[in-house]
Amino acid sequence: MPILLALPRLPLAAAVPATDRPAGLMARETASDADLMRWSAAGDRAAFAVLVERHGERALRIALRVLGDPAEAEEVAQEALLRAWQAAGRFDPSRAQVTTWLHRIVLNLAIDRTRRRASAPQAGEAALAALPDPASGPEAAAVEAEERAALAAALAQLPARQRAAIALAYEEGLSGAEAAAVLDVSERALEGLLRRARLMLRRLLTP
Amino acid sequence: MTHGKLARLLDTHGPRPERWPPADRQAAATLLAASAEARAMLAEARRLEDRLGAGLPQPAPASVARLKAAVAREIARSPLPAPPGRWSRLLAALRPAAPAGWGALAAMACCALWLGLAASPSRVGDPLAPLQTLPIAEDSL
Repeated sequence: MPILLALPRLPLAAAVPATDRPAGLMARETASDADLMRWSAAGDRAAFAVLVERHGERALRIALRVLGDPAEAEEVAQEALLRAWQAAGRFDPSRAQVTTWLHRIVLNLAIDRTRRRASAPQAGEAALAALPDPASGPEAAAVEAEERAALAAALAQLPARQRAAIALAYEEGLSGAEAAAVLDVSERALEGLLRRARLMLRRLLTP
Repeated sequence: MTHGKLARLLDTHGPRPERWPPADRQAAATLLAASAEARAMLAEARRLEDRLGAGLPQPAPASVARLKAAVAREIARSPLPAPPGRWSRLLAALRPAAPAGWGALAAMACCALWLGLAASPSRVGDPLAPLQTLPIAEDSL
């Protein structure tokens, strides 16, 4: 195996079978996610770059909403995208959409990271630390920042899967069925997670 | 609909009636029209919805740009995706039977086992085979 790794790699274009190669950059940009993933599996880095361009921001947002910490979210989103690249050959379009598969990787990594944390409520603490000094800005901005920090602190107290359910439920353009598929649960189970999460948030946020 | 059921509805589906199950909408509307307590519950659910809608964290544009650049950099120097392994190919081949459940897969496995055993040479195939071992008249005993 090390011998194989040491061999010089073929040029990128040669890695994609000639019969299955996109005709140009425009072809990649207008291609479906499934086609891009198929080309990626055949070694087309440019096709994967288009997928990252399309879905990278949402991947980062989901990670951020589960973890609460921007730096950690960036690490997790990056790791998830690299894992998706390495596993592109194992992606099966008959079983899931590319976005479902990709977001599931992000979510699983984010939830794992949350569970490994030594102290769970880091997100709330980070948000509180990021609060602007009320004296330095308008009063309304200070109140808004305070409310955001309180929400972040409340979210940090939720179990990771409930936080993930909230992150997906408030993700624009994502249906309940897709959110459930990303979490790998039934729609009914997702509703249960959301119900418990909202109930707890109301209790935590009610003065 | 009771207040308890309305609370459950609001926690499960949020405060927007278009997201409620159609079967519950009329009963919820009736309760909301009749009960100040129900309206207060709806108002509280809306406050939470608004806070979540506005307050969930958004990644900074710089962070998104950093992520895309970092992934592009790593992908450029990482090996090409590995082709699917033997197990992945086997599972993919068996997947058409998956909707029928594990019973179908078990039945397929039994059939394969039975065919494998049946393929072994058997003497039962020729009913006259025992006669060929009998001595005939010209044979010297």
